[in-house]
Order: sequence, then C-alpha cells, then structure tokens
Amino acid sequence: MTAALVVGLLVAGGVFLLLRRGLLRIVLGFVLLGHAVNVLLVSAGGMQRRGAPLLGETEADVAADPLPQAFVLTAVVITFGITVYMLALARAGDPGATTGHPPARADASSPADGSDRDDPDRDDADRDDATADRGRRTDAPEGGTS
Amino acid sequence: MLLALALLGMLALAVAAPLLARRLGRKTGYPLAAGYLAVAALLASAAPRVWAGETETASWEWLPSLGVSLSLRLDGVAGVFCLIVLGVGALVMAYCPGYLGDEEPHGTVYLLLSLFATSMLGLVLAADVVLLYVFWELTTVCSFFLISTAGAAAARPARQALLVTAAGGLALLAAVVLLTVAAGTTDLATILADPERVLGSGLAWPIGGLLVLAACTKSAQLPFHFWLPGAMVAMTPVSAYLHSATMVKAGIYLLLRFSPLFAEESAWSTALICIGLLTAVTGAFLALRENDLKGILAYSTVSQLGLLVAVIGVGTPEALAAAVLHTFAHALFKATLFMLAGIVDEETGTRDIRELSGMWRAMPVTAATTVLAALSLAGVIPMLGFVSKEYLFQGLLEAEGPPWAGPVALALGVTASVLTFGYAARIVYGGFGGDDLHPDVSEPPAAFLLPGAVAAGLGLVLGPAVSVLSPMIDAAASDVAPTGEPPDVYFWHGLSPELAMSALTIVLGLVLFGFRAPVDRALQRLRLPDAGRLFDRVHDGVIALGHAVGRPERTGSPAAHLSRPLVAVVALGAVGTLVVGGLPARADTDRPLDWVVAGLLAVVVPAAVLTGSTLAAVGLVGITGLLVATWFLLAGAPDVALTLMLVEVMTAVVAVLVLRGVPGRLVRSPRREAVPAAALALGAGVAATLATLAFTGRRELSAVGEHFLTSTEEQTGGTNVVNTILVDYRGLDTLGEAVVLGTTALGTALVLGRSEWRGAAAGTPADRRGDAVLEVSSRVLVPGMFLLSAYLLWRGHDEPGGGFIAALVAGAAIALSRLTHGPGTRLSRLTRPDRLAGAGLVLVVAVGALPTVQGQAFLTPVELPWLHALGIGSTFLFDLGVYLLVLGLLAAAVTRLEQPDRTAGDEPPGSPVTGPLVTSGVPERAP
Repeated sequence: MTAALVVGLLVAGGVFLLLRRGLLRIVLGFVLLGHAVNVLLVSAGGMQRRGAPLLGETEADVAADPLPQAFVLTAVVITFGITVYMLALARAGDPGATTGHPPARADASSPADGSDRDDPDRDDADRDDATADRGRRTDAPEGGTS
Repeated sequence: MLLALALLGMLALAVAAPLLARRLGRKTGYPLAAGYLAVAALLASAAPRVWAGETETASWEWLPSLGVSLSLRLDGVAGVFCLIVLGVGALVMAYCPGYLGDEEPHGTVYLLLSLFATSMLGLVLAADVVLLYVFWELTTVCSFFLISTAGAAAARPARQALLVTAAGGLALLAAVVLLTVAAGTTDLATILADPERVLGSGLAWPIGGLLVLAACTKSAQLPFHFWLPGAMVAMTPVSAYLHSATMVKAGIYLLLRFSPLFAEESAWSTALICIGLLTAVTGAFLALRENDLKGILAYSTVSQLGLLVAVIGVGTPEALAAAVLHTFAHALFKATLFMLAGIVDEETGTRDIRELSGMWRAMPVTAATTVLAALSLAGVIPMLGFVSKEYLFQGLLEAEGPPWAGPVALALGVTASVLTFGYAARIVYGGFGGDDLHPDVSEPPAAFLLPGAVAAGLGLVLGPAVSVLSPMIDAAASDVAPTGEPPDVYFWHGLSPELAMSALTIVLGLVLFGFRAPVDRALQRLRLPDAGRLFDRVHDGVIALGHAVGRPERTGSPAAHLSRPLVAVVALGAVGTLVVGGLPARADTDRPLDWVVAGLLAVVVPAAVLTGSTLAAVGLVGITGLLVATWFLLAGAPDVALTLMLVEVMTAVVAVLVLRGVPGRLVRSPRREAVPAAALALGAGVAATLATLAFTGRRELSAVGEHFLTSTEEQTGGTNVVNTILVDYRGLDTLGEAVVLGTTALGTALVLGRSEWRGAAAGTPADRRGDAVLEVSSRVLVPGMFLLSAYLLWRGHDEPGGGFIAALVAGAAIALSRLTHGPGTRLSRLTRPDRLAGAGLVLVVAVGALPTVQGQAFLTPVELPWLHALGIGSTFLFDLGVYLLVLGLLAAAVTRLEQPDRTAGDEPPGSPVTGPLVTSGVPERAP
C-alpha cells in the first residue's frame, strides 16, 4: 500500500515537472520518474521478506528477492548517467532555457530581473513569441517545396 | 546473349553519352543514333526466328530465394516495341543536334534520353514481372527528370507526371505481387501460358483492375489524361520521344502483354472499350480547341492512345493486330509532327497557330513533310495511318456484347476520327496556310529536317507496302491474342464498311474544317472542367492535411511532445482499471516506518515540485532521492540504497555546477499551462498507484530469486547476491549498462566542447585557493575517499559495495578536489574522463572476451592464474571496468561543467571566477 502511494506520488510530481517550463524542471521530473519506477520494481519483488540478500548474514527465508534489486541497481546508475547527460545538454544551450527564461537576446531591452517575479506573464508572453518564431522557421522550408 | 548484348549496349551508350557530349557537344546525337541503329540491327538478326514463332531468351539469377530472375525475352510483340523504341530513338537522337542550343546541358539531356530508351527497351524485353515493374518505374523516373530539364516552368507538370505515373507504378507493383501469389511464379511466359490459374484464383478482378489502372495512368487515359499535355513543356525531342515511342506506349504494351489473360473477360473488355473511346473523343475534342502546336499534338496523343486502348479491349485477333499496327503508325506520324513543331518553334519563335500563318512559302519542304504526317494522322489514303485506321474501325465493329455494342463503338471511333481530321487540318492550315506573316523565316538545315522527313516518308511508303510489315504484325498479334489466327495486313480491303467509314470521316472532317471559324468561336467559349487543376487542388489538399496533422509537433515546447504519451499512460490506466479483474488477494505488508517515509515524501515531493527557487528544487529533489534510498533500505536493498544515496550526492554536485550563471528563479508557468499539467500529473499519479497495487504484493518469492538465494555462493563464491547477479550471472546486462555510461560520458564531453578540456588541464589552480576549511577538509578527505572507494570495490563480491558504489565515492572525491583546487592538479590529470572511460570499456570487453579464447561463452567467469591467490577473479576485473567507466562519466561531468560558462556574458570580464557553489538566490544575469 505504501509502495503504491509512494509510486503514485513520485509519478505525479515527476509528470508535473516534466510538463512545465525550463529544462531543469524536466531533468528533475525525469529523476522523480526514475525513482518511481525503481520503487515499483523493488516492490514487485515482494515486500514481506525484507532481509538484505547477503548470504551468511541474513536467514535464507527472510532474504528479499535479489533480482529486482539487481535491476534497480543498474537502473539507478543508468538514470544517473542520463541525468548528467541531460544536465550537460541543458547547460550547453542558452542558460536561460535551463530555468525557462527567454533567450538572452530578448533580455537586452527588458528591465532588471526583479521585475520577472512581479510580472511573470510578460515574461511568458516573450517566451511564447520565441516559441512561435521557432514554429514559423520550421514551416518555412516546407512552403518552399512547391 | 543477344538480348543481354543489346541491353548492355544501350546502357553503354547511356554511360558514354555525357563523355561524348564533353567532346562533341550537341552533335553527340549522331553517334548515339548510329548506336541505336546498330542495336536495332543486332535485334533484327533474330527477326526471322521470332517471326517464325520462336523466342529469344536470356536469364540470370537475381533473387533466387524469391524465384525472381533477371530474364529477358524477345517475342513478336516485344519485337515491334523494340523496333519503335530504337527506330524512333535513332530519329530523335539525330534530331537533337539541330534542336539543342549551345547553352543547354547536352551531357545531361543525352544521358537521360539514353537511360529513358534503355529503360523502355528493358521494359518490353523483361520476361519477369518483377523486372517489368522495375523498368516501368525507371521510365517514370527518367521522364520526370527529362521533363524537369525544361526549368522552373516544368516544376508543376513534372510533379504531376511523376505523381500520376508513379501512382500507376504502385498499382502495377500491387498487380505484380498478386499475380505472383495467384500464379506461383514471377515468370511472365509461365503466367500467361495458363490463364485459368490466375482467373480461377479469385484474384483476377483486383489484378485486372490494377493493371488497367497502371496502364491508364501511363498512357494518359481519362481521368489521368492531364499529365501528358502538361508534360509538353519538356524540350521538343523529349516530347517527340515520350509521346510516340516510350512512356505512353508502355501502358499500351502492358495491356497488349496481358491480353492473353484477360481478353476474353467481358469486364476487361468493357472497361477498356469505355475508357478508351471516351478518352479518344475527349482528347480529340480538347485537341481541337488548342492553339499551341504541341498542345494539339499532346491531346492528339491522348486521343490516339484512347483508340488503341479501346481496340485492345475488343481483344479479337483482328483487333489486336490493328492495335499493333496503329501503335507503329502512330509512332511514325506523331514523332514527325513533334519534330516539325519543334522546327517551326525554332525558326519562328512561336508555336501558337494564331500567330503562325502562310509559312508554306518560306518552308515548302517542312510544310510538305507536315502535310504527309498530318494525312497519316487523319487517316487519309494512301498513308500508313489510313491502313491502320481501317483496321481500327474493323476491330471496333467486332466489340462483343449486345448487338448495338459494335456499331456504337464504331460510331464513337468515327467521331474521334472526324475530330482528328479537324485538328490535323488545323495543324496544317494554322501553321502553313493563309497569308505570309513571316517573311524572314527560311527552311531549316537539311540535317534538322531529315529525321522528321524520314519518318513521314516511311508513313507514306509503308501505306501501300503495308504487307511488308505483315510478318511482324502477325507475330506480335498471335503472341497477344488468346485464340485464333490474326489476319495478314493488306493495303486494300475492297469496298468494305471500314472504307465507307473512312470516307465518311474525311467528308465530315472536311465539313468541320470548312466551318472552322464558327467552330473555333464556339469551342473557345466553352468552359470545361480542368482535371489538372483538380489534381493540383487534391495535391495541395494532401499537403495541407499533412501540414495540419504535423502542426502540433512543430513547437519548441517539450511539454507539447511529452504530454501525449503521458495521456496515453493515463488512458491505459483507466482501461486497465475497467478491464483487469480477478486478481489474487494482496498481502498487507506495510510496517510503521514505511508510513513515516511515505509521509515525509508526501511533504517533500510537493515542495520540490512547487518551489520557485532553482537551488531549492535541486535540494528538495535530492532529499526525495535520499528518502527513496531510505525506503530501499527498509525494503532490504542496502546496495541499492547506498548507490542511490551516492548518486543523489553526485547529482546534486553536477546540478549545482550546471546552475552556475543561471537565473536563481525558475520561470512560473501561467495558469493555462499549470492547470492542465497538474490534472495530467494527478491522473498519471493515480494510474501509477493503481497499477502498482495491481501488480505487486500478490505472490511469494519468485522462482528465479529463490534460485539465486540458494545457489549463488556455491556457484560464484560470492555472498552478496545482488552483486553476483550483476557481475556473474547477468554480466551481459552490466556490459550493456557500461556501454550506456561510456556513451553518456562521451556525450557529456562532446556536448560541453572539447577545446576547453585541454586548456583546463593546463590552467592554474591559483585562483581557487582561499577557503581554508574547504582546502583542509579536502586534503584529508580526498585520499580517504579513494581508499574507501578501493575497499568498496574489493569487498563488493561479498558485502554491499561493488563497482558502481565505489566509483561514486571516488567521483565524489574528484568533485571535492576540483571544487577546492580547480583544474590542473595532478589528480585531474590522472582522471582524464576519456582515458578512464576508454580504459573501462576496453577492460570490460577484454574480460568478457577472455573466456572465448578457451572456447567458453562470452563473459564466463574464469580464474586468473596468479591473481587467484589474492581472491581476484575475472569478475573482479569486470567490476573494475565498470568502476572506471562510471568514474569516467563523473570526471567528464565535473570537469566539463566546472569550466567557466561559455556564454561568458554572464560574468563581468576580468572578475575572478566565482566559486561554483556560490550561486545565490539572486539571478546572475547579463546587465
């Protein structure tokens, strides 16, 4: 029961982060989803037997299923590798994109950052424009094929 | 052998064409024409045998597993088409030098024309339906490129031609597949020899329909006729060839070829006769209202092909013989007329018959040649066109069905012929009759005129001497007629109904010509539906539809892309809840501490999700990870817990490095984004909870888990079962994981740029000194952490530890050292990420490959001779490789991310590099 609740909580948090702005949120959401899947895997092995699968230290009849643990150990490390890679990707681009701020060029004429917090909608509008721009650029080559 | 030589010869000519063009320029046409005649002569050497009913064959294996072979076959009908392709091809090639200007890309034009001819020759010689299809598509592709050589104006017609004929090509492919299924072979002769097998298979209808569709697109029958007049934008030699001998004749060839299968099926006959006659009348009608010489000729081709399709549909031996003869006659006069239209165009600069007038004075020879070809087109005695039209009428009269079918077909045929006479007269009178408006025009050079004159002369000579063609026509018609003997062809039939029809045609045609002025006015006022525009509208509609379908994907927002699979997950959860039932009872396994962890997570996760501070988000997600690690510890997974804790620490370090120079606040999403995101998140969370409840807690220890717990120590000597699974039992999985890590290490290094790497290694650590506490603690801690790391690695086989954990500890040590001392220390030179990852990868693969030397499976654990005493086996070295790879990834992340931001505008120039950990809540952004 608790395992299911933990999984649900982590999935909900992860999904919410994934769907919002800023690459950092997406990376963090990905981390939470990774946790959720790992908890699901371990709990799939059964939660009655909870002894560490260390022979000689744990009685054989209480030792937990080692196979899901091996899966999860692998998954944790791979998740870590991918998280680092995603963070590197986030860093390689525009620093503002990491947190969802509009590109640096758009900042040139905007007032100091403090105003962002007071008026997030204006900031968002800028962002929307940038997105729309990108959309138009994508359209252009197709229009030219005729 | 003969056939292979012919086809290879054509290919060689095609290859040689651009090379010759470099030297000869536009005169390349002459050697090519000579080459075509030589190939024709080569094939003609087999003519006596072919006319006697034998066939010439050649075959090589191509796809033996599918029974498909590269086989060629020359029989009567193939022979006629070979003659047309090569004969008209030679004339067109000889015409090209006069037509082409000096600026045109001669090499390209000649190459494409030669490839076009080669494809067409291959098409008519193919003895395997798959090969037939391949050559069919090659002619489509060649014609597309040939039309495209006309430049920008040709873009639309070339696209129309390609799409229509390629669609027909797909129909042919489907027909070929079905034929192969029905007949059990791809050999054309075998398929045709046993019609019952195909007709009785239940696939006859789709096969016949697809073949008709393919032929109608290629031969420009209604409603696909529009691409052919559009294609006249191509240069005139291309039009001449495409309209008379290749491309459109491919559809006629296909119908003739499959006549033995379907000629006695009434559906096939009815369809072909209806389509053909409708096209014949419509095409002739449209030709009558055209003013462009080439436009008239293009619609004329549509109309003449319609007559051919109709008479093939009749399917009697006489009708099929008429089709073959008229195909031949049409090739001659249509090639001539196009070539002459090109000459007129070249000499006067226009093809519009409203602007041309009275040129017979200036160009008497051209005018006479045109008259000869036009007479053949109109079916006037004694031209070859007259003879073939007689046979056409005779064939149409034989149309089976109700008693009125034949006369009605004949009446339509005569109508088309009357209109044909009308537009043939328009060509001659419009171009050459009337007052002289072009005093400065003169006769073209003889070489330019000769090819057209030869074809026109043949049309005149072969009319009375048509019996010369008799063996050829006979052989072809008996190849394609399912039953009965084809008649010999004669010039004079006596006073037959056909002769009366011919006479009627001429009289009515003359009447039509006499009333040309009112007829013209009436036709010009007529508004007709334009199939080409309809096609364009459909085409644009399809493009717009694709655009609309793809529009949601053309956004830079990740949420738009991520939300759809997530919606699918929620939907799956909903479906699962409704459908899945009858699960075994769940055991209640919760313990009090579980609830404590879950309760803490219930506080931390929402906080991590909702916070607006960058650092708080990273920190709270890290705490979430530590709580999950605690949960693993409670669940009896100390290895996982330990690894996860270290991973969380390292993730936090990397994240903080990334966040340097990045605004300290996360952007707030507007409500219209946050609300749907929250709804989807809640849905996904509920779905995940329900799925976890459904899939867990319903069974005892798994059999494989039981096996590992009982036999691990005996089999591997290790007591940490999880670690033995990773390195002993599931080594290949771990190898795959190691490769993933190596790839991410490489990716991280590449993404963040390589140049800084070298520079960083040489940089001075001086500016980092200052924080005494950090420095002292790192002096003490870093060596200790490396020792701990080595210990964890060594003991991993028996107790919690192993390559992953040990590498994470060492990675933390590297990070600490880098944070304190900056780049350029001895440690950072020792831990170059590329070397670590490379060494790790080599080690895991080498250890894996070691047992294969002894003939054992990849990754089998082996004892190493002198290391065994230390308790070190190959699994240890494998683990060491994993260790090095993980360390490589960490070193890459720390080294690269720790560099000053490349978008250097974030920091004032000249200021000391801020310590990576001092990213404050205040955004550091460009002024």
